[in-house]
Amino acid sequence: MKALWLILVLLALVALAALPWYGSDVLIQFGISTLLLAVLAQGWNIIGGYTGYASFGNSVFYGLGSYGVAIAMVQWNLSFGFGMAFGVVLAVVFAFLLGIPVLRLKGHYFAIATLALAQVMAAIVSNIPLAGQNIGLVLPPLNNDRLFYELSLGLLVLATLTVFWLTRSKFGFGLIAIRENEEGAAVMGVNTTRYKVLAFALSGVFTALAGGIHAYWITFLDPESAFDISLNVKMIIMAVFGGPGTILGPVVGAFVLSAISEFLSSEVTSIAGLFFGVVVVAAVVLMPRGIADVIRRFRTSGWRYFAENIKAHRL
Amino acid sequence: MSAILEVSHVTRRFAGLVAVNDVSFTLNQGEILGVIGPNGAGKTTLVSLISGTLPPTSGEISFEGHPITTLPAYRRARLGIGRTFQIMRPFPGLSVLDNVAVGALFGQGGGESDLKRARERAREQLEFVGLARHADQRADELGGPSRKRLELAKALAMQPRLLLCDEVMAGLNLVEIDEVIEVIRRVREQGISILVIEHVIKAIKSLSDRLLVIHHGEKIADGEPDAVLSDSRVIEAYLGRRRA
Repeated sequence: MKALWLILVLLALVALAALPWYGSDVLIQFGISTLLLAVLAQGWNIIGGYTGYASFGNSVFYGLGSYGVAIAMVQWNLSFGFGMAFGVVLAVVFAFLLGIPVLRLKGHYFAIATLALAQVMAAIVSNIPLAGQNIGLVLPPLNNDRLFYELSLGLLVLATLTVFWLTRSKFGFGLIAIRENEEGAAVMGVNTTRYKVLAFALSGVFTALAGGIHAYWITFLDPESAFDISLNVKMIIMAVFGGPGTILGPVVGAFVLSAISEFLSSEVTSIAGLFFGVVVVAAVVLMPRGIADVIRRFRTSGWRYFAENIKAHRL
Repeated sequence: MSAILEVSHVTRRFAGLVAVNDVSFTLNQGEILGVIGPNGAGKTTLVSLISGTLPPTSGEISFEGHPITTLPAYRRARLGIGRTFQIMRPFPGLSVLDNVAVGALFGQGGGESDLKRARERAREQLEFVGLARHADQRADELGGPSRKRLELAKALAMQPRLLLCDEVMAGLNLVEIDEVIEVIRRVREQGISILVIEHVIKAIKSLSDRLLVIHHGEKIADGEPDAVLSDSRVIEAYLGRRRA
């Protein structure tokens, strides 16, 4: 069973890696944005899925990663690689500075506090001349979607391997213990503050890298789009749809929802958002623990699984 | 006998309520100290103050001669203080085995770094408390009595030098109580000092070397179990003034 999973994942990976050689330009572009969204969902999975802190501050990491690349390339004439590293440094510094006070809050309070962070960052960046203030920055165009695609795929693989490592490491066990019962984890010797901040930073590293790739690909960014809170909502929906706290759930969630969203906006264009909302609501009602849980339970419960979920939530 | 735990003049106030009031006592190396008192006497608060999940309002606590009053809970766990919770708090989504493995991974001295070895150690503890056959179940599927044992196994996997048991026998039947008493005795044989909070007086009397009685947050008696239980102030606290 485990071997079968591994073969399936490897086959899917090969098919994905080869896509730029057989897919159309439109498909490659769809692929880049989907892969980057999957990285975001996987990054959120570390803090939200494994540690149990529903962060709305991940779009700040995304924005910092974008601006790291843009500032390095436009203002300092440095390489893309340096920009990515700069973005990561910004994200990690942010995770430590704000993670320490904000991660003291729990549940809804944590969510609300992080929700404000993106708005604040957008306002701050709008006033920094180095970041192009509220006009934004235009990056040197690089017309090589194949490269962006493979970069995004590589990043997604790296993020997923990191999450895989989490599930079999002491660090990951500490995070799961915090999610399951934070006080219980502390009395068993888990340095909860340190673990939470590290998880926030690790989540931020992948999110910032995705932001950096996206900025170079799109070649333009401004504070509004870089620190967009709806992007944060998207990553949460994707991670939860697929199965938070699982290795592949957020990736599958991102792929499936991106495909549905793309299909809807080409078929029913003007009311695509409405249909997408219906899909999300149906998912939450029928499979509140995500696709991963459906796969696990469907074999034993069959179609009853969905009925049980409806009943369990008194709907 | 040297003291492993010294609690001196510890007070904890919650807005308007003094849950623990100027309590002092010592726990000796290798000793089983029983703490009893009516509901709401401040027993669980006392355990929380020692394990570090609550800071005291005033007073000092030292462990193996070092002051720990200001240390966070995880540092105290690494020094060797393990506790169980009265309101059982397993990691619900994890298997019983992995619940205990968390104790082996962290715990006293910082714990094991290898997951496989931690699970091996966890399995030993599950056998010790008699939960081995439930190892692969999810913790939230366990029944009440098994959860009590799980709390013990989790704390023991930390390899503590001091174990704080917060009502590990409450809600158990007589047979189960005897089994848990036996487990606690065997824990002591490993050289672990133990503080037991309990409601079941008969159980704690046979188990403890010494008894401490708390009433309205204050220590009212401390000594040999027989002498303490015949103390008129203790009888009054439990049964009311007229019976004393």
